Amino acid sequence: MKARDPVKVSSKSSPVMGKGVSSRGIWSGTLSFSLVAIPVHLVKAVEPGRVSFRMLHRKDYSPLKTRMFCPEEETIVPPDEIVRGYEIAHDSYILITDEELESVTPERSRTIEIIEFIDAKEIDPIYYDHPYYLVPSKGGEKAYCLLAEAMRQTHRAGLAKFVLSEREHLVVVKSTEGALAVITLHYGEEILPKESISAKEEVEDEEKNHIKKKIRKMMTDFDPEKYADERRKKILTILKSKVKEQAPVEAPEIEEEGRTGPADLVATLRESMRKVKKKR
Amino acid sequence: MEKRAIWKGYINFGNVNVPVNLYAAIKERRIQFHLLHKRDHVRLRQQMVCVFEKKPVPREEQSKGFEVEEGKYIIVDPSEFEQSAFKDNRVIEIHEFIKTEQVDPLFLGRVFHLGPDVNLKGYSALALALKEMDVAGICTWSMRKRHYLGALHASGKMLRLHMLRYADEVIPVKSLDLSEMPLAEKEVKIGIDLINQLTVPFEPQTFENDHQKRLQNLIDKKVHGEKIAILRPKRVKPTAPGKLLWALEASLKKIA
Repeated sequence: MKARDPVKVSSKSSPVMGKGVSSRGIWSGTLSFSLVAIPVHLVKAVEPGRVSFRMLHRKDYSPLKTRMFCPEEETIVPPDEIVRGYEIAHDSYILITDEELESVTPERSRTIEIIEFIDAKEIDPIYYDHPYYLVPSKGGEKAYCLLAEAMRQTHRAGLAKFVLSEREHLVVVKSTEGALAVITLHYGEEILPKESISAKEEVEDEEKNHIKKKIRKMMTDFDPEKYADERRKKILTILKSKVKEQAPVEAPEIEEEGRTGPADLVATLRESMRKVKKKR
Repeated sequence: MEKRAIWKGYINFGNVNVPVNLYAAIKERRIQFHLLHKRDHVRLRQQMVCVFEKKPVPREEQSKGFEVEEGKYIIVDPSEFEQSAFKDNRVIEIHEFIKTEQVDPLFLGRVFHLGPDVNLKGYSALALALKEMDVAGICTWSMRKRHYLGALHASGKMLRLHMLRYADEVIPVKSLDLSEMPLAEKEVKIGIDLINQLTVPFEPQTFENDHQKRLQNLIDKKVHGEKIAILRPKRVKPTAPGKLLWALEASLKKIA
């Protein structure tokens, strides 16, 4: 299949992300605690379905992407033609600009200010929402390393509030393998009450001890790699049989910026297969 | 308030079998915005678009492909994978148990409350056992045609189920290309002292989402045609690398 005119694909950033979206990350600003201020970028820490399937156009096998679409004009709308609206009545909106949003809490839109530290163990995991990493910008490397190291040694995490696009988040700043992670937390009011259990129900020791015995037999160390490998193995088995039945199809050549496709997935899969075998 | 179960299933390991109901644990309350077309304020919607033709593609023209090398795909039917790989039998199967503290929060996804169904005794015994041993069960289950990995925890007398991300969905720290900086012992020590001084108990209920109220205020003002004062975001001057020790010492003095 021969490519026609190469198509430029616009970058994914939308006005909703606000200003200060740098090429390196989702957000840039300052991380501070007491009188120390560290210039940082916020970047992704998770990417759902990295080993996964891609949506393709059945006609030409070109990859599909999600874009904003105007149903009235039936056109794809580029980021600079998108505005943010709040619906006050059916199909009637008032517009809110990025500058207005930042004015709601100007002290927290460019700064993650750690107001206090807590023992990381005290955080009930139900509060954790979405994780990111912080990376130091130029000049901030040393203070960044110092904060990560001091938090690692003390098992502490920093608490801060900061505004990312339309929301103010309560976040923890944690040290993880020499890096700083930022995890947004749910507010207490967002956590739904659990059903209560009648206190009358007494747990029988015999039953509890029986369960404990079973648990002890099944104790191990947490190894997230293992589960990813198992899933890859299943996918690989099916794909191997598929490859025998059908030749791969080819997508047209597309000029695209910042391609993030899996470079050599089969090699990755093979590598993980090898690891699985070795462990046995 | 009566709550509706999202899903029903059985926790299973060894000969232990506990029927449970799954309930939502989180409800986000947030002011909703919509994306509009600048010209005519028509509300936009998300659409799958062919990168090559730059045209919207209806569902019946969409296929799934597995990329074997750049730009080359094996066309697959996702239902094939579901049938052969995962069975939907309503079982939350626990494969092993781990110490709760071993799970890095980076792996935690959505969370659900689990309520007892029928076998209340077994449910309570399991919750108590998990709590007393401070362990979590690593489990898998299929729900609505999708397969999930999760961690089963105790929370008080109740059970809770956290979805876990697969290892290849968490971006490794190594890929951040962080450079290691030499730190003087004195700097680290002052940093630790400072953190110790600023440490308090974690009391999440004391934090209110006051931003929502202020945002609502701003919207109300705009509805009434009032002008919004634009405030420049506060920017903090980064600490110069040579001034780090000074800033740490000054911070300690300020608190003392």
